[in-house]
Amino acid sequence: MSGALRVFADYRGDSVEEADVVVVGSGPGGGVAAKELAESGHSVVLLEEGPPLTPDDFELDSAISMARTMRESGLRTTLGTVMPTMQAICLGGGSVVNSAICVRTPEFVLDEWCERYGLRHTTRADLDPHYDAVGEFLGIAPTPEAVLGRRNTLFREGCDALGYASEPIQRNVRGCRGSGECFTGCRARAKQSVDITYVPAALRAGARVLTSARVEQVIVAGRRAVGVRGRFVTPFTGRVTASFEVRARAVVLAAGCMATPVLLQKSGDLANRSRQVGENLRFHPGVAITAFFDDEVDPSFGATQGYQSFQFLREGYKLETLWAPPAVLAVRMPGSGHALKNRLARLPRSVVWDAIGSCNRSVGTVRSRRWGDSPRLSWRLHRSEVSILSRALYTLTEIAFAAGARGVMAGVQGVPEEIHSLDAAQVLRNKDFNSGDFGTGGNHAFCTTRMHGDPARGVVDEFGRCHDVENLYIADTGVFPRCPSVNPMWTGMALAHRTAASVSDAL
Amino acid sequence: MPSRRYPTRVLNETVGGGFALVLSTWVLVRVFWGHAPPVAPLLSLSRREAAFVRAAAAAIFPAGGAVSPSGGEARIAVHTDRWLVQLEPRVRLLVRLLFFLVEHATLFFPAPGLDGFRRFSSLRLDQCEAALEGWRISRLAPRRLVFQGLRAIVTMGYLSHPPVLRELGLAPRVIGPGGALANEAPIDPRYAETGP
Repeated sequence: MSGALRVFADYRGDSVEEADVVVVGSGPGGGVAAKELAESGHSVVLLEEGPPLTPDDFELDSAISMARTMRESGLRTTLGTVMPTMQAICLGGGSVVNSAICVRTPEFVLDEWCERYGLRHTTRADLDPHYDAVGEFLGIAPTPEAVLGRRNTLFREGCDALGYASEPIQRNVRGCRGSGECFTGCRARAKQSVDITYVPAALRAGARVLTSARVEQVIVAGRRAVGVRGRFVTPFTGRVTASFEVRARAVVLAAGCMATPVLLQKSGDLANRSRQVGENLRFHPGVAITAFFDDEVDPSFGATQGYQSFQFLREGYKLETLWAPPAVLAVRMPGSGHALKNRLARLPRSVVWDAIGSCNRSVGTVRSRRWGDSPRLSWRLHRSEVSILSRALYTLTEIAFAAGARGVMAGVQGVPEEIHSLDAAQVLRNKDFNSGDFGTGGNHAFCTTRMHGDPARGVVDEFGRCHDVENLYIADTGVFPRCPSVNPMWTGMALAHRTAASVSDAL
Repeated sequence: MPSRRYPTRVLNETVGGGFALVLSTWVLVRVFWGHAPPVAPLLSLSRREAAFVRAAAAAIFPAGGAVSPSGGEARIAVHTDRWLVQLEPRVRLLVRLLFFLVEHATLFFPAPGLDGFRRFSSLRLDQCEAALEGWRISRLAPRRLVFQGLRAIVTMGYLSHPPVLRELGLAPRVIGPGGALANEAPIDPRYAETGP
C-alpha cells in the first residue's frame, strides 16, 4: 500500500479524513511517529503546516531563507531575557535547516530525569534500543575526516593542546560535501532530514501526508481525543483558506515545544489539570566566539558543525564548532563603519565556535496570543547561570589561543571587542556579568509539556501519553523534563519512537 | 464684558497657536516630505523607508576600507525591500517601527552640529555615523538592541551582495557530483555575475 503526499494546489475546498492515527507536525518527532505507526499497519494522516522544499527552494541568501523557512520569518525572540529562537515551518521541520547533530543524552542526565520526575523507564539502557533504531535508519555516523575542513580541525588541535577530550560530531548525513550550508538547506541532499527519510518511508507504508495544513484545535469527546481540525494555508504567506477535519482513534501532537502547548491552550486548555502546559520552557542558550588566525582557514568549507567536546558537560556546557551563512555570522561581529569592514575582511581567516549551556534554573513560559498563532515566549536567564556562559566563552577562547589564534571576539558587553591574549580573557572568568550582557541564541527548546510520573506534576507520562486525555499523545521535545545537556534531536526521535510503540499497543 | 486682560490673552493664544502651527508643520515636513526617490522600483519599502535604509547602510558600511563595496553600492535598500515582502505582517510592522524610530529620533535627540535636528536620512554621513554610534554604545540595553537590530538588517543585505561575498572568498560554490566539495569549485552562478 502506498500513501499520498498532498500539497496546497491539491486541495479543492473543505475536507474530512479518517484514520487510525493523526500526527500533527512532520519534524523529527512527528516523522518518526508517522513512519513507525504506518509500518505497524495503522492508517496514518500526517499534517504539516509548511510546504515541502526541494534544493531549488533553498535560498542561499540567509535573510530570505530564514523568512521563508522559519516561523515569524526567523525573527522570533523571547521576552524577559531577549534571545532569538527559531522554529522551522516546512515538511521535515527543523531537521531540514539544522546542522544534523546527533547525540545520545548522557546517562547521568537521564538518571537525573528519572530521579527528579518519577520516571522508571527512561534510563539510558531503556532508551538505547530506540536510539539504535533511529540511528540505523538515518545512517548516523561521525563526521568523516575528508569533510572536516580547517575550521573543525583547528578546534581539535586546540583541545588536544590543552588535554581536553574532543571528537567528530555524529550526524544524520550520507555523502556530505562539506559545503557548510546546513542552515539554509542541504543543496547536496546529503543531510538525511525527515522530509527525505521518515516521511517517504511513512508514505511507502501507506500514510497520507497533508502539507500546508495548519491544525487549530484538538477535537475531544468526553475525555477522549477523537481528531483535529484546522485550515489549509497558502505556502510561505500563511493565508488561511478551506477547512479540514481529521477524525482518528489516536492523536499524536508533535508540533514542537513552542507550538504544541499553544494548540492545547487553544483547544480549551486541554490536558492541563497539572497546570504544566506551557510552563517550564527551557533552552540551551548558546554563545559563540569568532577567533581569527594569521593564515587562511577557508571557513566556508567543511561540515557545518563537525567537532565537539563533552569535557565540561557536567559543569553545564558543551562545546562545538560552527559555521553559518556569512551574513548571519557578520551580524554577531561588533562595531560599525570601517572597524566592522576590517573584521569582515578577516572572515576567511576566522573560525566560529560555540557553546550551549545546560541552564535548568532559567525557565519561561509559552502562551497563545489572542490574535494570530504565534506563541508569546517569556524566558529569563537565571542570574546564577550567567557564569555558565561566561566560563564557556573563556574555555572557547582558551582553545582558540591554544590552536594559534591571534585574537578572539567574544561578543559580550563589558568585555573588549577583541581579546589578544589569554591574560586579557581573564575578564570572562572574573567579571560579574548580567544576563543582558551576552549575545545568546536559543534553538534547543524543551519541557513545555513535560513528562512526569505524577499526573499532578506533568502533562504526559514517559511513554508520551497525556495524563488527562485518553488517546492523546505528545512526541516532541516538549516532553523532556529538563535540559538534555546535549543536542536534542536524536533523543526527541528516540522518545517519539517509543511513543509510537505505545500508541500502536493501545490501538 | 471682556476682561481687561483680554487683548493680552488673545495675543498669547495667537502667538502660542502660531508657534504650535509652525512646530507641527516643521514636524510634518521633517517626517513626511523631501525624501530622495528610490534608485529601483520597490515592492514594500516606502520612499522614506528606502531613504532611511540607504543612509543607515552608508553609515554602517562607508566607502573604502578593507572591503571595497560601500553600503550604497551593495544595494541594501533593494535587498531589504525584497526581504520585507517575505515577512509576516506582524514582523514587518515591527521592522517598520524600528526604521521609523531611528529615522526620527534625531529630531528630538540631535546628531552633532547645529544642523543636527534633522531626520536621520537628511543628516550628513558623519552625523549619521555619530548618531548610530550613540545607539551602539548606549548604556541602555534597549537602545543597543535597536542598533543591533538595524545593523543586523543592513549587514544581512551587505553580505548577500555577490561582489562582497566574492571579495571575501565566501561566495557559495557549485555542488557537482561526487566527493568532497573542492575549494576550487566554481562559484554558484547566482553569485558569479560581475558588477554590483
